[in-house]
Amino acid sequence: MISLQGVTYSYPGTSSPALRDLSLEIPRGQFCAVIGPNGAGKTTLAYILAGFIPHFYHGSLQGEVNVEGKNAATMPQRELLRLVGLILQNPFNQISGTKVTVQDEIAFGLENLGIPREEMVARVAAAMELVGVSELAERSPLGLSGGQMQRVAIASVLVMQPAILVLDEPTSQLDPVGSREVFQAVREMASSGQMTVIMIEHKVEWVAAFADRAIALVDGALLADGEPRHVLAIDTVWRAGVGQTRYTLAARRLQELGKWQDGKRLPVTLDEATLTFKAFQKRR
Amino acid sequence: MAEVFGLYKQRASFIHGLHPLTKLAVSGFFLLAGLSLPGMWSTYLLVIFGLLPLAFLSRLLLELVSRTGRIVLPFMISVFLIQGILWSGGTPLIEVGPISFKQEGVQFAIASSGRILIVVGSFLWFALTTRPDQLMLALAERGLPSSLSYLIVSSIQIVPRFQARANTILDAQRSRGLEIAGSIFQRARAVLPLVAPLILSSLIDVEERALAIEVRGFNYPGPKTSYREIAQAAWEPMLQRFLLLAMAGTLILSIVLRLVS
Repeated sequence: MISLQGVTYSYPGTSSPALRDLSLEIPRGQFCAVIGPNGAGKTTLAYILAGFIPHFYHGSLQGEVNVEGKNAATMPQRELLRLVGLILQNPFNQISGTKVTVQDEIAFGLENLGIPREEMVARVAAAMELVGVSELAERSPLGLSGGQMQRVAIASVLVMQPAILVLDEPTSQLDPVGSREVFQAVREMASSGQMTVIMIEHKVEWVAAFADRAIALVDGALLADGEPRHVLAIDTVWRAGVGQTRYTLAARRLQELGKWQDGKRLPVTLDEATLTFKAFQKRR
Repeated sequence: MAEVFGLYKQRASFIHGLHPLTKLAVSGFFLLAGLSLPGMWSTYLLVIFGLLPLAFLSRLLLELVSRTGRIVLPFMISVFLIQGILWSGGTPLIEVGPISFKQEGVQFAIASSGRILIVVGSFLWFALTTRPDQLMLALAERGLPSSLSYLIVSSIQIVPRFQARANTILDAQRSRGLEIAGSIFQRARAVLPLVAPLILSSLIDVEERALAIEVRGFNYPGPKTSYREIAQAAWEPMLQRFLLLAMAGTLILSIVLRLVS
């Protein structure tokens, strides 16, 4: 369970807050996507949840952040890292750079935590299986493609079994197949009820297809919060610069042409679009 | 894999299975013996009867010969030419017009080339057969701080990526009209548009990398464990101690021989 109450944060040396009076509750086992244009405060939210704010980036933090019932701002970083796993955008920067094989790379975090070898071997094998990198076990992590490297980075954090997984645009360097694999793996983790997932993502079609909930941030403030198919159909969300699925955009075009029934909800997913446009065609 | 991880080459050999410190001791012995033993041919004997059989057993004979040759040959050729021709006085060995090759110069070149050969060869043999992460683990087990091990190994491993980024920036700037050829002044002027983005992007990377390893418990207090067990045969510690003694003995012997002569 994650709870934010009236959180406002400004980076050192800045006058404008990166997050403004943000209040949220995310229950355990939920797959929650955070969407919004660049500069909306998404990465700042990820850093707050992972404890890098205020432990690494100081600045001014107001409000309360609770992770699994404990105050994240006052909890020592060593405790927080066992609760929250963070995956960043650039997969290359997440590779430790000291390991020769993928399996050694995935074990790096467990070595640091002092986990016994037998347990490490089992956990590394399970993490590789989960994200589909078992066949890369003996490859060099620095010799992989961007997509493979990102999946190794995900496995490297998953292997530490955090209660909460925060992913900051993990598919930004992946092709559609790689993106789908990451979303599917994350969906499965959340569905198992073992892990809460917060994923910052611009690929709204995948968000609509896989996430339980979408939180739209604009200028550091909460703009909309709810089921992805509702949030992504909201006019103000679209006007604030949040991406739209191709189905919603097609419907918006029809709206502009005056061919959309007033008050009818815009389709967001492929299934909704199929039903909506079939009905639209019949009416014509 | 091997290309990404510097010099290390995976082979199914007995030598690859040795403890990194055993290989470090062997390499250190060759290095010390090669640099300290007197005589023109002692280093070549070490190479022929020590280093090359070890490279053969490591299944890396051709690799070692080719890599060592590429480094050492240009040096050897220049040493032979410079010392042979420019040695003052001495006995002429070959005379071609006004140029004469002196016997003493050639002898000096043979001795110094042998030293370079054993230094480069023993280092390359060690680097080709030893996984850097296992070396660091072995050193950490002997008390080297883990942060220092991380710094050393990650710096070595990241160099190729750093070079790749520098090339990308170079290509990007050239495509925008940057001239990198021409006079020294023109070349110097072209450095700034390359260095600034390289340093800035590297600083951003360093911050992100620091966060990423922190998330993975790099500074987590308490003892660390290891995913890999470094195998060590029962006789290896004995061999390591013997090699350390041999190094000390070689050093003493070379000092005594120099004092006597």
